[in-house]
Order: sequence, then C-alpha cells, then structure tokens
Amino acid sequence: MRSSPLSTLVGLIARALVDHPDRVVVREVDGDHHPRIELLVAPEDIGKVIGKDGRTAQSIRTLLAAAAMRAGKRAHLDIVD
Amino acid sequence: MPVDEPTAKDTFVAAEAAAPAAAPEPFVEDGRADMVLDFVIDVLAAMGMDCTVDLLEPDEDDPPEEIRLEIEGKDAGRIIGKKGQTLSALQFVANRVVNRPSRQRRHVIIDAEGYRARREEALASMARRLGKQAVDEGKIITFEPMSPQDRRVVHLALAKFAGVVTKSDGEGEQRRVQIIPVRR
Repeated sequence: MRSSPLSTLVGLIARALVDHPDRVVVREVDGDHHPRIELLVAPEDIGKVIGKDGRTAQSIRTLLAAAAMRAGKRAHLDIVD
Repeated sequence: MPVDEPTAKDTFVAAEAAAPAAAPEPFVEDGRADMVLDFVIDVLAAMGMDCTVDLLEPDEDDPPEEIRLEIEGKDAGRIIGKKGQTLSALQFVANRVVNRPSRQRRHVIIDAEGYRARREEALASMARRLGKQAVDEGKIITFEPMSPQDRRVVHLALAKFAGVVTKSDGEGEQRRVQIIPVRR
C-alpha cells in the first residue's frame, strides 16, 4: 500500500464526511492507464460518501481530477462496497 | 460573540415584534464557520493549490446561517475549473461536511476571486431584463434548467420587481424558473 498526495486528499475529504472516520481506508493501486484510488468506508457510511444521486461522489471525483491535473497526472476513484 | 443584556428599549421592540408570531431564536455562531474554513484550507493544500482562503465577515443583510469563504491566489483559476465546476464541487462537499441532520442548517458559499459574484450579477441583470420583457409582452418566460443556487438568484432578483411573479417548475435536474406577468 502506497500513499500519495492524491490518496491523502481523498482520505481527508472522506473522513470529514463520515460518522466513523477511523474506519476510512484509502489505497492507491496501479490502474491500466492511471493510478486508481480505492476508498473504503464503514458500510453505514457508504451513503455519506456517495450522496443523493451520487452527487457527493461526483464532487470528490471532480476535486480529485483537479488535484491530479495540478500535478500533471490523472486518477480514478473507486468507492469499494 | 458577546451577547448584550437586553436594554429597556430592546425589550419594548421585541415585545411588539413578537406579538403576531413568535420571533425566531437569534442565531449564534456555533463554531462551524471556523471548522469549514479549516476543512477548505486542508483540502486545497492537499490538492497542491497555491492560494489563501478568507472567512468573510457577515454583512448586516446576509442571513446569519450563511458562511462565506473567499479564495485568492495564483491557482484561483484552477480552483474555479471549467464553468466553475471545481468550485461548485468544493462548495458542495463543504456543505455536506458542516450539515448533519440533527443541527440547524448552515449554508456555505465559496467564491474565488469574485467569480461567483460576477456570474450572479450577470444572471440577476439578465433576469431583470427578461422580467421587463415578460411585463411588456404579457408572456410567460421560461429559463433553461438551472441549479438551485442559480434559481435562487433569479427569484431574488425579481422578488420586488413590479408586475411579475416567479416560480420553479419541473423535477430535479430539469427544474426551471418561470417569470409570469401578473394582471393589474
């Protein structure tokens, strides 16, 4: 398991959203083209990181994309359930 | 924030105001303004953005539950993003973080180098122009679907505009504002 600024960002946002921040796990794995950031939260917190109509997840992805672009990279977010 | 003891004059005014309906509890800052400021600073730092974030002093006519943040600096353009979508994402997440079901709602508004303010003024001025057109032509004017924030800007711009009422119609992403002329 590696840690990078992008996984730090995802962990920071996720821990602020959930009821169980101590159960947030972020992993960065190599994807086919871009690094893939996997986010795991407590089952009862899944809704909090996805949000109504997926809007929270969409917003996290938008922020991740902006951070990746700032670093000249791309990244993909997987919310693992 | 210190709370002054009510003076005799205040008490008199409060008693008058309270007569028809109970006045809402005065709003007291609950620390969430500083909490969301810290959150936004941490997120932008983790994104590698070169900027500063300020918590704005509320204006007298701003609703007290509003929390306004202003971002400035070299990376403001990146933080705004294409059509403002990165700024909107940051604002959305910040609102999710401060608002929990059991507590009074706080409304976080995040701007970067005046982007949102300029956009809102352009939208409000378009709304006033279309309001005049609705009155002159006696026709209902319907906007394209817009976000709740943008619909609010149109409603507020025309709230005191003589001869029209505004309402929103449609569901979810398809909700549109209508400007409806009223007969006098």
